[in-house]
Amino acid sequence: MHQKSKRWGAAVALIAAGGLLAGCASSGSSGDVTYWSAFVSKDTERYYQEHYVDAFNEQSDDAKVKMEVKQLQNLGSLTDTAFSAGRGADVVYSAGPSSALGFASAKRIDALDDYAAEYGWADKLQPWAYQASQVDGTLYSVPVEYGSIVMYYNPGVFEEHGWTVPTTLAEFEQVATEAQAAGMMPVGAGNSGYQAQSEWYLSAFLNMAVGPEKLYQALTGEAKFTDPEFVDAITLFQQQIDKKWWGGGKDRWFTNTDTDLFTGLADGTVAMYITGTWSFGDAGRYFGEAAGNDAEWDWAPLPSLSDDVAPGVYPMAIGTSLSVNSASKQADAAAEYIDFVIDDPARSYDYLAATGQNPPPLSDIASMPDTVDERSARLYTDAPESGNLGYASWTFFPAATDTYLWSEFDKIITGDLTPQAYLEGLQKVFDGELAAGKVITPFEPVPGA
Amino acid sequence: MTSATARIGAGPAVRRPRHRRRLVAWLFIAPLAIVNLLVIGGPGLSSLLFSFTDWDGLGQANFVGIDNYVELFQSPNVLAAIWHNLLWTLFFLIVPISMALLGAFLLSRLRRGQVLFRTLYFIPYVLATIVSATVWRQILSPDAGIGAALANLGFDGLAGVNFLGDPSLALGSVAFVNNWQWWGFLLVLFLAAMQGVNPALYEAARLDGANAWREFWHITLPGIRPTLMFLVLMTVIWSFLVFDYVYILTQGGPAGSSDVLATVLYRTAFSEQRAGYASAMAMLLSSISAVVVAGYLILRKKLDWDV
Repeated sequence: MHQKSKRWGAAVALIAAGGLLAGCASSGSSGDVTYWSAFVSKDTERYYQEHYVDAFNEQSDDAKVKMEVKQLQNLGSLTDTAFSAGRGADVVYSAGPSSALGFASAKRIDALDDYAAEYGWADKLQPWAYQASQVDGTLYSVPVEYGSIVMYYNPGVFEEHGWTVPTTLAEFEQVATEAQAAGMMPVGAGNSGYQAQSEWYLSAFLNMAVGPEKLYQALTGEAKFTDPEFVDAITLFQQQIDKKWWGGGKDRWFTNTDTDLFTGLADGTVAMYITGTWSFGDAGRYFGEAAGNDAEWDWAPLPSLSDDVAPGVYPMAIGTSLSVNSASKQADAAAEYIDFVIDDPARSYDYLAATGQNPPPLSDIASMPDTVDERSARLYTDAPESGNLGYASWTFFPAATDTYLWSEFDKIITGDLTPQAYLEGLQKVFDGELAAGKVITPFEPVPGA
Repeated sequence: MTSATARIGAGPAVRRPRHRRRLVAWLFIAPLAIVNLLVIGGPGLSSLLFSFTDWDGLGQANFVGIDNYVELFQSPNVLAAIWHNLLWTLFFLIVPISMALLGAFLLSRLRRGQVLFRTLYFIPYVLATIVSATVWRQILSPDAGIGAALANLGFDGLAGVNFLGDPSLALGSVAFVNNWQWWGFLLVLFLAAMQGVNPALYEAARLDGANAWREFWHITLPGIRPTLMFLVLMTVIWSFLVFDYVYILTQGGPAGSSDVLATVLYRTAFSEQRAGYASAMAMLLSSISAVVVAGYLILRKKLDWDV
């Protein structure tokens, strides 16, 4: 009897241990499609849960999505860590096609061409975004959030100083000079609290001063980052920082935060702020009634800082892509959910209207409802129509090249590195990643767009 | 018969309990040893293997020999980070330990209020790092921090000083903040150790006319040597592992001026996605700790320290 109870005890312990291990393997029940996501606010999370996850679960006969909410700051590293252990959710988050390329190369996500054909994703998505999400001609991820970098400004301040939105280098320099003379910070910039923030400005500057065509050549290996166009661009950027046009120069760059710069834009101490369109959603916090002032914000596409670049370039950025985990037992259902996310333009644009969240790069831009803020709607209709599309570094540069781009740029700001030396280092890192197949194939730019 | 049985059984009767004791000891140690092997030995060994590869953290790992180690010692960023770790170690071996020794010695002589001061000094240590770092980021802000506040009162000596944004001040400022949290912890440990020193020694010293400094030097310090040496050893090891305050306050910037090995490692592994190279850095960090511990053990043996 005693022996028997010992055996029972051992059996119970084994079952318990097995249960624990199974719990580690998956946090959903066997039929669930797991999905890890992160949100900027609880309101956005609630909206997404109701209009996407719950809505999908209601209309789907068998597949049920179970969303687990992670921290925005570490969703990417959590996913990487889970994947390196051969785990992760069924619907895989990645911060754009460059991240997805790593998963694809490691064969951790499925090729989606069959699903793309079944659901007609090539027709639903804008061509540049579909192309950027392919690896050697095979689709591995579906972009579900996209945006760009634009120039924010305060129309009241511009009117007060008699400025018009700059579109050329001469106009940009004139506004910057006059703003500085008026005691303002001409262009907001800074990276306190988030070192990689520098790449927002760098991406903008490269697109404004080098242009999409030359960037495309560099990203495909036809040109070098050490070519004169790049050296001239970084030299010009360094000169403008030295003049304290950007972020107040090196004395202030490492202290300014995104919040400081939007606050400055609202109170008239910052003339222009070049940053991502992800701020459309919360720019309102700094302007108008919510902020206790009568200021307003607006945006304009980036000016050209070179005769070789057409004004109004939109550096395209894919903030979130979704893929199907190759270890998933619910692959079809995971793909079904991904299709649900991009299938209905009205749902995507309602999400934009309600939360300010970037929509998927949908081909259908005509059905943008009136409920979407006019400024947001303008971006998502004007950018695709203009065709003047460029490249955001965090979407199109491979990981190590991108990290070098922003981390070593600090030394350009402090003057510890020359533009030539900086770009030589950049090219060296990029060469290694290009040879290792870690660079996504960028979409082709429209010449002279 | 009885005596024969006793004689026959004498040997095993002595040996068996010893075996049994060893077996029991091993059985008690075994679970912890297995856990350690799994959670430290396994990942440690895999890191060592990955340090000789070009692994990106996900895909195939290709053997690259000692390339990662060669790159490690040729990288200006890594060498700068090692230098910053050395400066950090020097700072933490001198400043907090001196402050804590002095504070503990003075507190040990207090008859009233010792608990109050001990608690006050210890409070920063129990605060979450993210909380204290965030508070200090505000305090050190050139716009809304201590410099601006003093300027408003007419003292403009610190006005506009950019503690965390100036490359020449960033590392020192982070070390200052970390020390603010750390020295109170050392003080409490030293105070506890000092309370274990035989009071008769102090009385004898006073009868011999020793002043406070001589008491401290000749009685207190030798009396707390085990604690002191342990904390010196741990300070060196922790100084090379430092990450949290640096990451929260400056992320290693500006321009790498406050980068330490752990922040470079983190950036290499998670931003650059070069897990193989980052593993080589981890091996370097482990080696430094191993050398420190080995050096300590050798010294202890040679100098016959009782700790």
